[in-house]
Amino acid sequence: MGISRQNRVEVKSMLTAISSKPSRSGQVHTFSALDNAVTPHTVHVIFYYPRSPFKSFDLDSVRIPLSELLSMYPPVIGRVNKTQEGILEVKCNDAGLRVLKAKVSVGIDEWLRSADGHEESDLTAWEDMPEDPSTWSPFRMQINEFEGGGVAIGLSCPHMHADATTLTVLLKSWTEAQRRQCITQPPSFFPMPYNLTDTDAVNSDRDSFSKPIAGPVSTKTATATFRFSGSAFTRCINEHSIHEISPKATPFDVFAALFWTRVALVKDKSDRVCLCVDFRRLLSNPLPYGFFGNALNFSSLEMANVVEVAIGHVARLLNEHVSSLNVEKIRSGLKRARSQEKMYGKDLTIVNMEHMIVEGEPLMYQAVFEEGVKPMHVSYRIGNDGGEGVIMVIPSPEKGFGRTVSVTLPEEEMSKLLSDQEILRLEPEVILKGVK
Amino acid sequence: MPREQMPEFSSSVKLKYVKLGFQYLVDHFLSLLLIPIMAIIAIELLRMGPEEILNVWKSLHFDLVYLLCSCFFVIFISSVYFISKPRTVYLVDYCCYKPPVSCRVPFATFMEHSRLILNDKPKSVEFQMRILERSGLGEETCLPPAIHYIPPTPTMDEARSEAQMVIFTAMDDLFKKTDLMPKDIDILIVNCSLFSPTPSLSAMVINKYKLRSNIKSFNLSGMGCSAGLISVDLARDLLQVHPNSNAIIVSTEIITPNYYKGNERAMLLPNCLFRMGSAAILMSNHRSDRWRAKYKLSHLVRTHRGADDKSYYCVYEQEDKDGNIGINLSKDLMAIAGPLVLPASEQLLFLLSLIGRKIFNPKWKPYIPDFKLAFEHFCIHAGGRAVIDELQKNLQLSGEHVEASRMTLHRFGNTSSSSLWYELSYIESKGRMRRGDRVWQIAFGSGFKCNSAVWKCNRTIKTPKDGPWSDCIDRYPVFIPEVVKL
Repeated sequence: MGISRQNRVEVKSMLTAISSKPSRSGQVHTFSALDNAVTPHTVHVIFYYPRSPFKSFDLDSVRIPLSELLSMYPPVIGRVNKTQEGILEVKCNDAGLRVLKAKVSVGIDEWLRSADGHEESDLTAWEDMPEDPSTWSPFRMQINEFEGGGVAIGLSCPHMHADATTLTVLLKSWTEAQRRQCITQPPSFFPMPYNLTDTDAVNSDRDSFSKPIAGPVSTKTATATFRFSGSAFTRCINEHSIHEISPKATPFDVFAALFWTRVALVKDKSDRVCLCVDFRRLLSNPLPYGFFGNALNFSSLEMANVVEVAIGHVARLLNEHVSSLNVEKIRSGLKRARSQEKMYGKDLTIVNMEHMIVEGEPLMYQAVFEEGVKPMHVSYRIGNDGGEGVIMVIPSPEKGFGRTVSVTLPEEEMSKLLSDQEILRLEPEVILKGVK
Repeated sequence: MPREQMPEFSSSVKLKYVKLGFQYLVDHFLSLLLIPIMAIIAIELLRMGPEEILNVWKSLHFDLVYLLCSCFFVIFISSVYFISKPRTVYLVDYCCYKPPVSCRVPFATFMEHSRLILNDKPKSVEFQMRILERSGLGEETCLPPAIHYIPPTPTMDEARSEAQMVIFTAMDDLFKKTDLMPKDIDILIVNCSLFSPTPSLSAMVINKYKLRSNIKSFNLSGMGCSAGLISVDLARDLLQVHPNSNAIIVSTEIITPNYYKGNERAMLLPNCLFRMGSAAILMSNHRSDRWRAKYKLSHLVRTHRGADDKSYYCVYEQEDKDGNIGINLSKDLMAIAGPLVLPASEQLLFLLSLIGRKIFNPKWKPYIPDFKLAFEHFCIHAGGRAVIDELQKNLQLSGEHVEASRMTLHRFGNTSSSSLWYELSYIESKGRMRRGDRVWQIAFGSGFKCNSAVWKCNRTIKTPKDGPWSDCIDRYPVFIPEVVKL
């Protein structure tokens, strides 16, 4: 690239935000088998707001609701500790949440237009757990202020501690506390139902917790975000006659099928994907949205010659797979997870976030600090992924059939995907893809 | 064995009764004298009958001049008495600052920041941890926002911002509570030891509240933890000179600029103990305030022993050869604080013991007056756990007497000159303050000064609904372990 990339995000300061009340002493949060399975990864959520609710973060009215909220989440402000037997747990000692403040040298619209995946990663903290995690804050928040107003709030943590839904609910609850409203999804720390936990729940010879999986990803990856409107969905259905083959196809099925086939075209092998589905609401005794931790099912899907198959068939495969997920399948998924090194990206991974739509409204877009100022965009990123690629189908700000698809692929494959006609025909708004 | 103990017991009981009788005799000496005399006169008058009284009256040969002169004389004496009587100084009300919960400093956070900032000096980190474990502080003390940064940002702006936050909040509360208009303030005294910007903090207050241009304002700095009572003393002197006036005192300590970032051990100590806090006090000499004022100032004693080397070590923090920190309080301390505030019986005993020591035998133990007789409540500056322990031992106070001090240290930390007011607020919040109760406030200032104030409660104080203790008073008193495991 001719233009030398100058760092447009500058971290100015770091402080520790505290809970308002001391927690019960001696509280400990243990990790489940699934938590240990997703260990190598980190999860990041970035909320973009057109107007900043902060004036001066120190004495602001947002600080006190944040403190009150943190009192409800002792594991967020605790510190990781290794027990005598080498098992990791979180000691809930109230040490606090690390908050970084940064300034971005451009406006928010310019950023969304011109930043790429690498730059977006500057908006949250990307750190792996150090050897001695006793003074390391696992959860980190970064508040990035754009020129001319606008703010991006980034929340990150090791995937071992929580999944994307937990982080989303955490930030949404903060906005509810700020507006003095009832918290609609209070945190729940009850362990997973017994029928899902393995008898030897913790793998104690997983001593590679402290370093990322050896063997760096050999190719550089790029990220782009495609925003499809509801009418794009309708167009896609009509053009590919999807409803004739798969009448129950949901927006997720359609867009996931579209991208699977198009990505398979730019790759050479993509007959197998890994599907990641949140199972909070899929259990017979559903877990609440506030369930703290990981509740993800990873399963494999195969379709021979997917490049040539009609999208309708792929959509049907996806639909049947997701709707047939039950406790048994979730359980076997957990068993298999223990033997894998990386959950995301070993094969092309498709992440389903349909569960975030509650009564037609997307959860993440209800995180509103000031009345009328909704987030203009919410990004989700997974760190330390396997390199084959991650496709995330995320709800759009508007209700309806539109979806935002965030794709992470090796660089050359991404550049080919960006000029794919099938996708461009649906007229998506493409943001955060960088500037060539 | 029991038989030998019995005579000892009964003799000690007898001594106790003797002492009680003696105390009663001396304390009520005047009344014990006057009542019999008045009784005798009354009996005589009754015996004489009305006609005899009239005869006695006529025989006194009253004429006009004599009458007028006597009247003048009486009026003159009473005028002189009333004019020379010192004006009663009232404490109308006061407010203590309660920091927002986002400024809280749990132990884990404090130690984590300490490790991150002093990461190449593990011994200093160890030192801070030992201090914190034994400090008597709880998990709810607060530090200003600038100190929550890694590394801390103790700039001038941040210090000013902390000063504005703590002082203005306390003053706003005080104005609301007492219905005082800022324009009616005649005297303003601000004391803050370690932060003295230009323009001064008192100028900052005057500017914010648009106080009168002929206000008498003072800014005391560098006078340590006992500056609160020094300000009260100054206010009292001024209120003697100016009739019908009121005075606002603001006592605080601004932590931001003094957060030590190095690793010299003795200088790390304040980081562990000092916490954010302030108090705003309204004092006046208006006669109309005598109904609504909470307290009357009875005595105020200031002692400065900087000249005497022994007193220099009177309250001295030192590290012994094992590295254990202790406060050294010598017994001479009693000689400083004691005599003036005691009841007559105790003063007499103290005097006799003093005479005895000087004339007969210097080796006699100095008599420790029984301060519990003189006061119902004690507010000992919460300088540290060791100070309170030593004072409790030396003054022979019970756990309940020093409860206010210990609990203030636990909940708010060492807030320097304002800690006495948090302690007073604790006693009020517990509903223990009754009309007529006497409170002894003792403040120490770094080995040079010991200041004492005695207040008399003017009206029984209802448990306040607001105030710094309102949300947590039900959890107190708590048990504070010797060492908290960190």
